[in-house]
Amino acid sequence: MDRRRSVRRQGRRYRRPWFKKCKEYARNFIAFLFSNVGIIGLVIGYTIAGSFMIQALERGKPIPVQLYAIGNRTMFAKKLWNITMELNANVKLKEKEYRDTIDVELIRFQEIFVNLTRKGYDGSDDAYGYKSWSFAGAFLYSLTVITTIGYGNIWPHTPQGKIASIVYAIIGMPLFLLYLSNIGDVMAKSFKWIYANFCLCRWCPGVAKRRAERRIQRDQQMIEDGSSDSQSRKSNSSSGSPDVSIEMTNMNARQSVTSDAVTMTSNGSYDVESVNVPITVCLMIMVGYICGGAILFFRWEFDSGWTFLDASYFCFISLSTIGFGDFVPGDKIYGQGEFDEILELKFVFCSMYLMLGMALIAMCFNLMQEEVINKIRTTVRTVKYIFRCRR
Amino acid sequence: MDGPHERHARSVSRSRTPTRFAYAQPRQRRKHRETLKDCCKKIVAFMCTQVGVGALLIGYTVIGAVVFTHLERRGNNTETIDVEAFRNSTVKKLFLVVMKNNILDRSGFNQDMNKVLKVHQDQVSQIFKHGYDERPVEEIWTFPAALMFCLSIITMVGYGNMVPKTFEGKILTMVYAIFGLPLYILYFRNMGTIFAGCFKWTYRRLYECSTEKDENRKKIIVPSTACLWVIFAYILTGAIMFSEWEHWDFLDSTYFCVTSLCKIGFGDLVPGADVNASNHGNQTKIVINFLYMLLGLGLIAMCYNLMREEIRVKLKEMNEDFNQCLEDTKIRFLACCKRCRKRDLEYEDY
Repeated sequence: MDRRRSVRRQGRRYRRPWFKKCKEYARNFIAFLFSNVGIIGLVIGYTIAGSFMIQALERGKPIPVQLYAIGNRTMFAKKLWNITMELNANVKLKEKEYRDTIDVELIRFQEIFVNLTRKGYDGSDDAYGYKSWSFAGAFLYSLTVITTIGYGNIWPHTPQGKIASIVYAIIGMPLFLLYLSNIGDVMAKSFKWIYANFCLCRWCPGVAKRRAERRIQRDQQMIEDGSSDSQSRKSNSSSGSPDVSIEMTNMNARQSVTSDAVTMTSNGSYDVESVNVPITVCLMIMVGYICGGAILFFRWEFDSGWTFLDASYFCFISLSTIGFGDFVPGDKIYGQGEFDEILELKFVFCSMYLMLGMALIAMCFNLMQEEVINKIRTTVRTVKYIFRCRR
Repeated sequence: MDGPHERHARSVSRSRTPTRFAYAQPRQRRKHRETLKDCCKKIVAFMCTQVGVGALLIGYTVIGAVVFTHLERRGNNTETIDVEAFRNSTVKKLFLVVMKNNILDRSGFNQDMNKVLKVHQDQVSQIFKHGYDERPVEEIWTFPAALMFCLSIITMVGYGNMVPKTFEGKILTMVYAIFGLPLYILYFRNMGTIFAGCFKWTYRRLYECSTEKDENRKKIIVPSTACLWVIFAYILTGAIMFSEWEHWDFLDSTYFCVTSLCKIGFGDLVPGADVNASNHGNQTKIVINFLYMLLGLGLIAMCYNLMREEIRVKLKEMNEDFNQCLEDTKIRFLACCKRCRKRDLEYEDY
C-alpha cells in the first residue's frame, strides 16, 4: 500500500509540471511566432498567400485596356489598307504623298495609344494578364502593397482585385510594421554586439583596460587644467564664474570616471548595452547597401539602359518606400516571353533585396535614434550649464 | 535721500557720465540677450510643435516645388525628338511594306502592318514608361503639380505619374527625401498628438453631455470604433469628391483614397492627370488633393495614437483574462484528476 502510494505520488509530481510545460509550450509558440524567425515566416507566408490570391483573382481575366489597344491596332492596319488602296488606284504610288498621309494617321494612332498607356496599357499583347501576373510578379506586387512601396507597374483591373488589395493592405501593413520593429531590434542588438566585440576589439585582452586607464588619465589632466585655469582666473579676480567652471569640469570628470568604473567592473562580460554605435557607421552601412544594390541592378539591367545613377536612384526610392515605379527591374517589354525564368529570378531577387534592406534600414534607424537621443541629452546639459554660468 | 541731487550732479558733470554708462550698459545688454534668448526659445518651441511643423512642412514642399520646376523645365526633353524619329522610321517601314506587298495580298499586308505597328508601339511605350508624356515640360511641371510631387516624395506615397528626368533632378530627389522624411515623421507625430487631443476633448464633452454627471470622472478612453468611423467617413467623402470630379466609378475612387492614404500610391489613378481636361481645373484639383492628403495623413496619425492607447489597455485585459482562464482550466483539470485518482484508489482498495 505504502509503496503504491509513493509511486502514485511520484506520478502526481510528474503531472503537475505537465501543465506548466503545456502552458510554456503555448507561450513559447506564440512568442516564437511574434519574434525573429516566426515573424519572417509570417510575413513571407502572408506575401505568398497574397500572391496566390491576387493571381487567382486577376490572372486570366480580360484587361479591357489591352483588348482595346489591340483592337485599335488592327483597326489602324485596316485604315492603312484603305488608304493604300485609294492612293494606289490613281496610277502609281507616290512616296511623298503617301508618307504625308500616313504620318497624319500615325499621329492620330499614337495619341489614342498614349491615352491608353496612361490608363494602364503596358504595350504587350498580353490581354489576359498571363505574363504580368506570373507568380513572381504577383509576389512582388503583394510585397509592394504591404511595404507601401507601390511601384504601380502592375495593378488590379477587376473590381474584386481592387477590393481584395484594399483588405490585403489593411491587414498586411501592421504585420509588416511588426516585422520591421522586431527585426530592427534584433539586428540592432546583434550589430551592437558585433561592433563591440570586433570593431572596438573588446575581446582582445588588455585593450579595454588600457583604454579606460587612458581616459582616467585624460580626465585627471583636465581637472588639473581646469583648477589651474580657475586659479589663474581667480588671480584676475573677475566675477564668480570660474567656480562654476571648476564645478563643471569636476562633474564631468566624476561622471566619466564613474562610467569607466562601471565598465571596468563589468569588464569580464562586457555590457553590450553601454556601447553606442556612432551615426557615421550607420550611415556608411546604408550607403553601402544602396551602392551594392545599385551595382547589382546596374549589371542586370544594363541592356535595358539603366545608368549607375538610375540604379542607385531606384534603390533609394524603393528603400525609402516612395516607389515611383519609373524604374522597375524586369520591366522589359522586349524581353517578355523570351527570358521568363530570368525575369522571375529578378523579381524574386528584388523582393529579397527589399525585405532585407528595409530591415537593415530599420536597424540603422534604431541605432541612430539612440545615438541622437544621447547627443541631444548631452547638448541640452551643456547648454544648461552655459546659461547657468552667465547668470 | 540725496538721490535726485546726485543724479542731477551726474548728468551735469561730464566726467562722471562714462562711468554711469559703463555701469548701465551691461544690464541693458543682458536684457537684450535675455529677450533674444527668449525669442529664440519661443521660435524653436513654436517650430517644433503644432502649427510650426505644419508650416515648416508646407514651406519645405513649396521650396522643393520651386526648385524642381526650375530644374526640370530647364532639362531639354529629348523624348519628343525620339518619338518623332520613331514615327518617321515607322512611316518608312510602312512604305517598304506597301512596296513589298504591292501585288496586294491583303492578309500578308495586314500581318506585316501589324508587326511594324507593334514595334512602333513597343518603342513608344518604352519611352512612356520612363515618364514621357505627350505634353511639353512646361505643362507637366506646373507649380501645383510640383507641389504634389514634393509631397509624394516626403510622405513616401510616390505616385510616379511624374518623375524627375534630368540628372540633377534625380540627385536632388534623393537629397530632398533624406531631409524631408524626418520632417514628415515629425509632422506625423505632432499632428497625431494634436488631433488626438482635440478628438479626445470633443469626445469627452459629448460623452459628458449625453450621460449625465452621475459617475465620477474617470479616464475616458476613446473607443477604436470611433476612430475607425472617422477614417471611414473621411475616405468616403474623399471617394465621393473624386468620383464626382474625375468621373471615376465609385470603387476606383475609394481604391485611390485608400491606397494613397496607406502611402502605397500605385499611381494608376491620379487626380488632375487627365490630359484632355482643362489645365486650370486640373490645377485646382491637384491643390485640393494636396490638402486632402495632408489632412488625411494627420487624421491617420490621430487614429494611430488613439488606437495604440486603447490596444494597450485591451491587451492588458486580454492577458489577464487569458491567465484567469488558464488558472480555471487548471483547477478544473486537477479536480478531475483527483476524482479519477480517488476512483482508482477505491477500485484498487476494493
